[in-house]
Amino acid sequence: MTTLHDDATDASKAVDVNDPRLSRFDIVKEGLRRDEIEIITYESQFQGKNSKAEKRVVRNIAFLFFIAGLGALAFLGFYIWWPWRFELGETLSDFYTPLLGISLGISLFAVGFAILAWAKKLLPHEVSIQARHDGGSPSDEQKITGQTMMFVADELGNGVQRRPLLKGAIGFGLAPIGLVAAAPLIGGLIENPHKDELPIMYTTGFNPGKNGGNPVRLTREDGSPIRPEDVSTGGQMTVFPGIPHGATNEYADSPTLLIHLRADDAQATRDAAEADRRNKGSMWGDYVAYSKICTHAGCPASLYEQQTNRLLCPCHQSQFLITRNAQPIFGPATRRLPMLPLGVDDEGFFVATSDFKDTVGPDFWERP
Amino acid sequence: MKRRKVDLQQAPVTAAKGVDERFQAATPLRALLNKVFPDHWSFLLGEIALFSFIILLLTGVFLTLFFDPSMKEVPYEGSYSALRGTMMSAAYESSLNLSFEVRGGLFMRQMHHWAALLFMASIVVHMARIFFTGAYRKPREANWAIGMILFLLGFLAGFTGYSLPDDGLSGTGLRIASAIMLSIPVVGTWLSASIFGGEFPGHLIIGRFYIAHVLLIPGGLLALISVHLGLVFKQKHTQWPGPMRTNTNVVGERMFPRYALKQGGFFMAVFGTVALMAGLFQINPIWLFGPYRASEVSSASQPDWYVMFMDGLVRLMPNWQIYIGDYSIPPLFWPAVVGLGALTTGPIFWPWIEARKTGDKRIHNLLERPRDNPERVGIGAMAFTFFIIATLSGGNDVIADKFHISLNAMTWAGRIGMIVLPPLAYFISVRICLGLQQHDREVLAHGVETGIIRRLPNGQFVEVHQPLGPVDDHGHPIPLEYGGWVVPKKMNRVGALAPAVKGFFFPVEKPAEAPVSPGMPPVSGDDREEITSGRK
Amino acid sequence: MTSDTPAGRRLRVFSRRRGAPSKARRRLGAAVRMVAALALAGGVYTAFAPGAFADEPRQLSATAQEGKQLYDNSCISCHGRDGQGVDDRGPSLIGVGSASVEFQVGTGRMPMTRQEAQAEEKKPQFDKNQTKQLGQYVQELGGGPELPAGELYEDVKENPEAIARGGELFRVNCTSCHSFTGAGGALSSGKFAPALHDATPETIYAAMLTGPQNMPVFGDNQLTPDEKREIITYIKVQLQEDRDPGGIFNLGGYGPSTEGIAIFLVGITILVFTSLWIAGKS
Repeated sequence: MTTLHDDATDASKAVDVNDPRLSRFDIVKEGLRRDEIEIITYESQFQGKNSKAEKRVVRNIAFLFFIAGLGALAFLGFYIWWPWRFELGETLSDFYTPLLGISLGISLFAVGFAILAWAKKLLPHEVSIQARHDGGSPSDEQKITGQTMMFVADELGNGVQRRPLLKGAIGFGLAPIGLVAAAPLIGGLIENPHKDELPIMYTTGFNPGKNGGNPVRLTREDGSPIRPEDVSTGGQMTVFPGIPHGATNEYADSPTLLIHLRADDAQATRDAAEADRRNKGSMWGDYVAYSKICTHAGCPASLYEQQTNRLLCPCHQSQFLITRNAQPIFGPATRRLPMLPLGVDDEGFFVATSDFKDTVGPDFWERP
Repeated sequence: MKRRKVDLQQAPVTAAKGVDERFQAATPLRALLNKVFPDHWSFLLGEIALFSFIILLLTGVFLTLFFDPSMKEVPYEGSYSALRGTMMSAAYESSLNLSFEVRGGLFMRQMHHWAALLFMASIVVHMARIFFTGAYRKPREANWAIGMILFLLGFLAGFTGYSLPDDGLSGTGLRIASAIMLSIPVVGTWLSASIFGGEFPGHLIIGRFYIAHVLLIPGGLLALISVHLGLVFKQKHTQWPGPMRTNTNVVGERMFPRYALKQGGFFMAVFGTVALMAGLFQINPIWLFGPYRASEVSSASQPDWYVMFMDGLVRLMPNWQIYIGDYSIPPLFWPAVVGLGALTTGPIFWPWIEARKTGDKRIHNLLERPRDNPERVGIGAMAFTFFIIATLSGGNDVIADKFHISLNAMTWAGRIGMIVLPPLAYFISVRICLGLQQHDREVLAHGVETGIIRRLPNGQFVEVHQPLGPVDDHGHPIPLEYGGWVVPKKMNRVGALAPAVKGFFFPVEKPAEAPVSPGMPPVSGDDREEITSGRK
Repeated sequence: MTSDTPAGRRLRVFSRRRGAPSKARRRLGAAVRMVAALALAGGVYTAFAPGAFADEPRQLSATAQEGKQLYDNSCISCHGRDGQGVDDRGPSLIGVGSASVEFQVGTGRMPMTRQEAQAEEKKPQFDKNQTKQLGQYVQELGGGPELPAGELYEDVKENPEAIARGGELFRVNCTSCHSFTGAGGALSSGKFAPALHDATPETIYAAMLTGPQNMPVFGDNQLTPDEKREIITYIKVQLQEDRDPGGIFNLGGYGPSTEGIAIFLVGITILVFTSLWIAGKS
């Protein structure tokens, strides 16, 4: 709209703002002209002053503000006087958070709608048009700035070019300083995952090395050891290494699922295990123990279906078949769950005769 | 001694002059007061994100006053009886305490969490609006890119925040995050060990996530949001085509007072919505989850909704492991590292890709109705279908359980749907766009269907059409040109009938002011050149 | 299930049961199958009746006699004569104990209406007394686990630690399938772990004791009766009776999935309507 543009910037339309005859609106319009804005429509939403419609709108807005105040007072009241400490069972304190939310919500909503109604219904209707400039600065400006930048580059660049010593010195000086900034961050954070004598990626709490070279007992979460008869047929138990802190997150890769299979399932499982190089001899009677840490993403794959003999991981639905060395049969997991070699010590408690023979937990690049 | 006379009326003027002498604020302030903004409901979606970010800052600062980002094991002694005596990390204990021992703390926590979900939801909705209307075209490509980075930062902020309470659910999430790091070829184990400070979970991660969550990521968000808004301000908002609206102007209302008031009111409405939701709907009941233990997990373990698409992709990924000599790449790597990376950074380049494909180097300040660019709508529908299927698959176990579908069937449905449905969505949406376009053209050529059937002398029935423009000598309408904006298609939109329901979505139209936008009041001037061809 | 349990008052977003059409279909299926079962039972009865009475080896108590009557009418077609089991149809009931009957029949899972991935909970076909009689009969068939007498949960006022210990055990043993909130969860290929909102102490106890369907068995050596009672206390007091302190609606306790739905259906919807109103012409 070139006409509008000319109109707005046309200096001949400028007015003298010091002219005492001008109304305030005239001065505002002069400002608009300088900002290249033209008001097309500016009219009251009501016919005549104090019209019925206007009064109704004003009443509504006042009512909304009133509601807002009430809501805020209610919020404060609830906040101060409503019982808020948690108590077991159905108590009044259960409604503390809901009441705060409802009262504050109503209050803020009412304020919001009061303001919105004011802007929408009470203020005069307005349509303004402002000119828009894009497509870059004027070409001479572009040229001047470009040349200035080139000049700056020349000032610095020529200097360096004429003084080769400086060039080398800058390179030598700045590069190490950049490295100095990065060094503490990287150097402080970096950890070698394979540095320990018993490398963390391949060792769990069941490693005899964690127990002075003796086989590690299987324990419950409270540290009590487990006898074979403690696990019901068709039952499972989450077991931990029987070493200090064995059941804590310090040994996050150690939780294991000890399963007491029914005789026929146990036979199938045994057949499969005996046929396998690694799992050979790892079962004890009808008992089998698999790492609980999913080989996909590390969640506990612990949804044991005792009839179908599947272990399901609740995070990504990988399914492992217990009777087939916990081979994955569905979902994104590629690797079977490692089997823990089981034994029973002199006192009749379960022990792990060695650590897991496969790497426990999610897969990674250099896993053997 | 003469008492100095204080002219109260002149005081503000004097003060203002004083300020201006120091800051020369008069001219820029006037420009700000006068700045014109176009008005349309879809331009307010981004504001929801901005306002929820402000709520996040306010509630988040409150939460930091009580949270202890330490993984030291302590016994719980608070008022929630079902955990009393349980050993837990100090982070979890302080999260429980700020929920149960701090007056109104639980309300604040729930507001914070709902505001986070709303922040991400409104970013996605806002982004969809930008995409389907072509608002990212030159000169606004950079702002589109910034918006995508904001989504990624919000994603990270959400995930770190989700991890902080160190409850059973967030620990499971951290476990998966560590597995994702492990899956990266060559450096995986080093990366995971460096970030967790040794073996998972270690004792450092909550403290590290805390500083990222309360300082680094919000700092980045704040900086980018400022640039994002600054660019909107500098480049001026896009507008829909319509009467008087051209590529070189902005039609709307001045920033003060109307537009600013509306913004303030809308902020209050967003705040009110978050407060209502925080009061009515329980979110993340950490006290039921217990402290994180590597051996404990819950069925339906899911991340917050905006991470679910990644989790869904991980669930759908077939078990393909790549072996390279003694080394291997686990299947987790593809959806979680490559997929997430590609899905969050790929769309950044879309504006340049589209411009290159169409060879369009012009500046666009007018939006395009989605139907006028079926290709773009098709691609967008494809992308969103993909995103929705991935997100739904992230909750496929809940869907399977609650709707009695086999879990395995859900996984397969997701795998197949992911390949089949996006092209289908493309095809369908393109067809719909073309159909709508054609209908617009039809109405412009023949007029509005009146619903009146006339029988001709030869027995033929014809429907009477109301021409939108002038007619030729035979009474046939002269075809009108399409102006890129709503074409009236019903008689009551051209003023023949009173609308059945008085306007909420649509205004009550006055006769003779046919093709105006719902957000555009009628024009009083008569010398305006209209760019639509509704009625000349 | 029943509205007289305290849990029945809890607000829930989804119902475990499906809508009307499938219910109707199920009823129809049930009727068809009932007729078939009756016909089959009648056939079996005429074929074996004389012999069955002739070589009755055990002396059944009076209650068990009643139970046998019910069994021969409703269960025999799948579980066979004297609970011997029928291949591909129903497992043997020798040694499953009365606790199993308490769980399966008491929750309406048995008699099954059709062969599915998993028997569904429905309105029980037998009343409490009949269930007891059936249980007694099955118990006398071959022994097995029984529910103990007395209260199956602790009084939290007298024993306040029980709920915390129960919570600990619940998270170790139960949440992986039944979820932290007791909302249940999906298992492989259409099987599922049911929600615990409406489960009675007897049902939960019997389930732990017997490991129905795919649930693992938690015998008394593994979880002592005291520990079982603590778990039930946690489920009953914390998950069923306690109102969530964080809101009126708990969105079903399904975690972030329903929270994500809520933010779009409630939050975004409210605000989009608000912005429609803001920009709409007045």
